[in-house]
Amino acid sequence: MSLDWLDAFLVSGTFGVVEIVGLGLLLHLQVGLTRIANFGVVGFWGLGLYTFGVLYVQVDWPFGEPWQFLFSALAASLAAALAGLVVAWLIADLDSDGALVGTLGFSAIVLILATTQDQLTGGALGLGGLGFPYDLGTTKANELLWLALMTALVGLILGYVWWVHRTPYGRLLIAIGSNEPLARSMGKHTTGAKLTLFAITCGLMGLLGAMHGVMVRFLDIGSLDVGITLAALAGLILGGTARVWGAVIGVLLTVGLFDIVIQFYVPLPQEWFTQAIPVLREAVFGALLVVVLLFRPQGLLGQMRRSKLIRAMHDG
Amino acid sequence: MDRPARLASTDEPAVDRDVAAQHVEGPTTSGHHNVVAESSGRSPRRPGRTTSILVAAAVGLVVLASLSDFVAKSLVIGATENAALVLAALGFALLYRLTGLLNVAYAETITLGGYFAVWLSSSLGWGFYAVVLPAGILAGLLSVGTYLAIFRVAKRRRVGDLEMIAMSFGLSIFLRHGLQFIFGYQVQFFDIAPPDTISVLGVGVPSFRLLALASVALLSILIYQFIQRTRYGLQIRALASNEGLAQASGVRPLTVTLLIWFVAGLAGGLAGAFYGVGSSVSPLLGSRQLLLVLLVVLVGGIWDLLGVVWVGVATGIALTAMTLQFGDGLYSSLVLIFAFLAVLKVRGRRLTAGTKV
Amino acid sequence: MGDQRRSSIRVEQVQKSYAGRMVVDVDELVLGDVPIEGLLGPNGAGKTTLMRMVMNSVSPDAGRITLNSSDGSTTTLSSLPTHKMAHHGVVKSTQVITDFDQLTILDSMLLAVATTGHEFPVRPGAERSLMSANEDEIRSYLERFGFADATAIAMSAGEKKLLDILRCLLLKPSILLLDEPTAGLPDEVTAKVLEVIRELAADGTSVVIVEHDLDVIWELCDEVTFMAEGRVLMKDDPASIRANATVIEKYLGAGHG
Ligand SMILES: Nc1ncnc2c1ncn2[C@@H]1O[C@H](COP(=O)(O)OP(=O)(O)O)[C@@H](O)[C@H]1O
Ligand SMILES: [Mg+2]
Repeated sequence: MSLDWLDAFLVSGTFGVVEIVGLGLLLHLQVGLTRIANFGVVGFWGLGLYTFGVLYVQVDWPFGEPWQFLFSALAASLAAALAGLVVAWLIADLDSDGALVGTLGFSAIVLILATTQDQLTGGALGLGGLGFPYDLGTTKANELLWLALMTALVGLILGYVWWVHRTPYGRLLIAIGSNEPLARSMGKHTTGAKLTLFAITCGLMGLLGAMHGVMVRFLDIGSLDVGITLAALAGLILGGTARVWGAVIGVLLTVGLFDIVIQFYVPLPQEWFTQAIPVLREAVFGALLVVVLLFRPQGLLGQMRRSKLIRAMHDG
Repeated sequence: MDRPARLASTDEPAVDRDVAAQHVEGPTTSGHHNVVAESSGRSPRRPGRTTSILVAAAVGLVVLASLSDFVAKSLVIGATENAALVLAALGFALLYRLTGLLNVAYAETITLGGYFAVWLSSSLGWGFYAVVLPAGILAGLLSVGTYLAIFRVAKRRRVGDLEMIAMSFGLSIFLRHGLQFIFGYQVQFFDIAPPDTISVLGVGVPSFRLLALASVALLSILIYQFIQRTRYGLQIRALASNEGLAQASGVRPLTVTLLIWFVAGLAGGLAGAFYGVGSSVSPLLGSRQLLLVLLVVLVGGIWDLLGVVWVGVATGIALTAMTLQFGDGLYSSLVLIFAFLAVLKVRGRRLTAGTKV
Repeated sequence: MGDQRRSSIRVEQVQKSYAGRMVVDVDELVLGDVPIEGLLGPNGAGKTTLMRMVMNSVSPDAGRITLNSSDGSTTTLSSLPTHKMAHHGVVKSTQVITDFDQLTILDSMLLAVATTGHEFPVRPGAERSLMSANEDEIRSYLERFGFADATAIAMSAGEKKLLDILRCLLLKPSILLLDEPTAGLPDEVTAKVLEVIRELAADGTSVVIVEHDLDVIWELCDEVTFMAEGRVLMKDDPASIRANATVIEKYLGAGHG
């Protein structure tokens, strides 16, 4: 099968969009439902990415693919889940300001460790040697399959998020988000619920990081800056933090616009893409956060529509 | 999103807060009330005792410093090199404590202070000392501008806590990258002669670092005196503890709030100029320092505004001491982050809906 | 002590002050040893604060609060986290209106009846089993209190107040603390609420109620504790309290008699 018609950058651009959608969906459970301010998404994602990369490259695995990938990815997810647990424990009873500092602090720790432990991570120089757990013959074919697998994973996450809205668990998260003391007085172990939520969602963020590592096949500390957090947050808030499809719509309109539409379909001078467009992209995302929160804080899709959902589920 | 709930608990402090009450109990909820040190001198013992403890500590440190080169270096370099940190934290804390807003975009006030100083000195040909204050004033005006253009509007529209932080985060990123368009992507340096060094306790210190330290001390004292002694200071304290009441008794919130934003911006801008002359100015100047500033403010703020100053100074010294020891600044940051997060866990402000301007 | 064993709460040497002002100072008090106990006192007497200390949402400066359950066990409430209160059967309604602003009425009710098992992050079918196990009870309450549309979010103050009581009822308390439950409710709803309270008490729940409508107190309560300025001044049957000179002076005044 010839894939000449397909631009290689289009595959990686789409991969990036799908990945941010996944992060945005997980962030929706944390920020949109439970209202915990996680500004350290990149920390959990990056911990997954680096744990995966270091294990994959530095450990002499006694078995081949796909086990090498599976083991490393599992360990990466577990590491991120554990980190999520610790961070959630740290900020569980602090206000949003404490949550901001705790999560930002955590992502700073990840960046510092990735930089200083350079005999493992390659530090500022980066680390190569990652690869796909299969070989279809050409890089493009490999990447295309990986994109398909990533899309399937994010599809599962979307399904989970959709389902959570329809369960007693989701109801508990919403209750914590809108009035935690009241939920507590009703006998709900709200701290425990927050810890579990963070373990699960941050673990999945770590898994997305590991998937990213395979796609880019290189660990680069430049990817640990604020960009990932910003993209997920801006997309989620634009689309609507309280809605299942908020992250999907929002990320398509932000990251999709910049990384696919402008990259491929707007004829701009080539040198713009190296400096001006990336800078403009971040500036626009930042401005978008301000404007949306000022004028339409509920995002494009609007408020949670709990009544409609409950009616659909329980009327009869 | 959760506006009604928040309204119920913030805007009617007098009635039954019931289930929320447990949070109001936390050790630091007096938060907005004891804005500055509560040492109004009522207890006759305290000032004398505090002073003697401080003098004893200072004497002890100087003695230690004369005995050990390491201690001397840590103290002198730590205090002077990180004076900008204290300055930045002081400004941030002023804003945070008095308006309740945790303004992530403060990082860019710092950055802009640096840029303004470089720009003034290169375009006017003035020396560094001549441009520091103008740069700080410009940053202060910019800070006031962001308040009027964004945060004031947001407050009127009753944007929630979490959304407010996300907004300031967005503004921070916007300014950071906007700066790259205006000032270019390159790192910029001050075009000044190598600074003359002055020897303190046997350690050579560039003169502008001493100036930074002096301005930190001066600004801290000024702010403290201003808030404790002046009519505006009284109004600021009134506003911070109960806006409704303050307004009713004739405080003009806008003037006072603008003043707070200006002073905070001024401190941030000065800090930026000092950071910049110490190394270089780049769009990431402020955001690199932000986490440390945040930690110092949140942990120091457990006590009061002077607590922020002391924690800031201690942080600077610890940072230098560890960097001298490990030979790598990143490890010292790591240790500090862990230490601060531990303090926050134990003593951080609990989930309260504090009054926000 | 009644013939039936009930859960009761023992308050011993409990003190609480705010900014140096003593707000609650109770030497010895047993709440809930009768089916329905009234807590009476002027505004600021410390009734709400006392109830909050029972729930441990406000911690006392000194003293001990213990729960004597109907099964004979004893629990120190002052060291129990708030979220464990409901599991011990201690439940309180709030004086000020509180609600989950994102949840519908039915949501609130399902939240109250859901167990940790239902709320497991991955458990297929939990919602359905939760609903089918509790549908009858929920529907009967909804009908009884006349909620037109349970899939709506409670809007009016009265609706929210009633929902709060409903949440408490669904938690199946053995001790139910009600802080001014009928304030702001229309008369016919108040009547229904009182009826439910009576039924609950007859089934073995100990109800402690703060209420400003004196007719309700005289008619409903088996015993009344009178508080003023943080202290318990007396505890007696309604008729004696009503006739007491101190109570008349401090609270009832001329208008009530
Ligand atoms: N969180 C608080 N901070 C300061 N004072 C309080 C607080 N809560 C209650 N008080 C004071 O304690 C006293 C008793 O209040 P409360 O228990 O609400 O009385 P009651 O419910 O009997 O009307 C009142 O004077 C009230 O102002
Ligand atoms: Mg009361």
